[in-house]
Amino acid sequence: MADKNGHIDLDGLFDAARRDSAALPEALSERILADAAQVQAGFAEPPARAPSPGLWRQVMVLLGGWPALGGLAAACAAGVWIGVSPPAFLPDPAGLVSAAQSEVDVLGGYSLSSLYLEDG
Amino acid sequence: MDGGTPVTGEAPSDDALLVLFANGEAQAARELTARLGPRVFSVALRVLGDRAEAEDVAQEAMLRLWRMAPEWQPGQAKVSTWLYRVAMNLCLDLKRRRRGGSVNIDDVPEPPDPGQSAPEQLQDRARADALQAALMTLPDRQRQAVVLRHIEDLPNPEIAGIMDISVEAVESLTARGKRALAAALAGRRAELGYSDG
Repeated sequence: MADKNGHIDLDGLFDAARRDSAALPEALSERILADAAQVQAGFAEPPARAPSPGLWRQVMVLLGGWPALGGLAAACAAGVWIGVSPPAFLPDPAGLVSAAQSEVDVLGGYSLSSLYLEDG
Repeated sequence: MDGGTPVTGEAPSDDALLVLFANGEAQAARELTARLGPRVFSVALRVLGDRAEAEDVAQEAMLRLWRMAPEWQPGQAKVSTWLYRVAMNLCLDLKRRRRGGSVNIDDVPEPPDPGQSAPEQLQDRARADALQAALMTLPDRQRQAVVLRHIEDLPNPEIAGIMDISVEAVESLTARGKRALAAALAGRRAELGYSDG
């Protein structure tokens, strides 16, 4: 395995090392298989289920969490306040309930039912 | 060892066996241990030069394989490549923690190869031991590259994946490693069974 210059034939040494490769010791094989059995036993157990989030938490997630809910709450509060105590440039909503929608009579004194009778 | 899809009638691939293991098939563990155990132990022994440490590395590498099995994606990589990578990293970690290097090849009893005559076995053993002693003089990464390339006979791209380096870096490490081995072995030609002239 040495050439004429006395150089070491590494390839020959590598071949020898491959032929001399270590077999798996029996005791090591048993330990590896014992580990495998232990790990596999863990696979058989159902994973611990996390508690499902409550309805309120699911709504929060859909709306974008606490920051979004905070803005929503503020908007709702503002709307209620405007309705209860509107600014001066807005009409009082309580007065609008019974007031006429307009002071202009678009039918000119006629009733709608009499208009239909004229069609014959 | 391959990671491909098994053909009907042929032995299942490492990929398939690992999936079977994750699904609770005990025989898959025995088959994978028989296929991969000797390789990971042998390469750890070559890299570490210590039998007890090599056994620890092999057991730990296989344990990590078992734990990883449910997450294994068949067809994306070779199981053996993954295992080699884990083993090589474990060897590097262990070497960093170890204080001083020691070569304990003498306490490595090997079973006889029935295909060789006694003198051939002895000569192979002597050459393998001399090679191992020379390997232990190499820097860790050179030794890993040389063992994976020239003893485990892996292609350079696979070694690059195992060692997380480029193919060019693998070629550089193995070239430098072989030169260093030749230099370390130059004074041991008689021990290797070489005759002058």
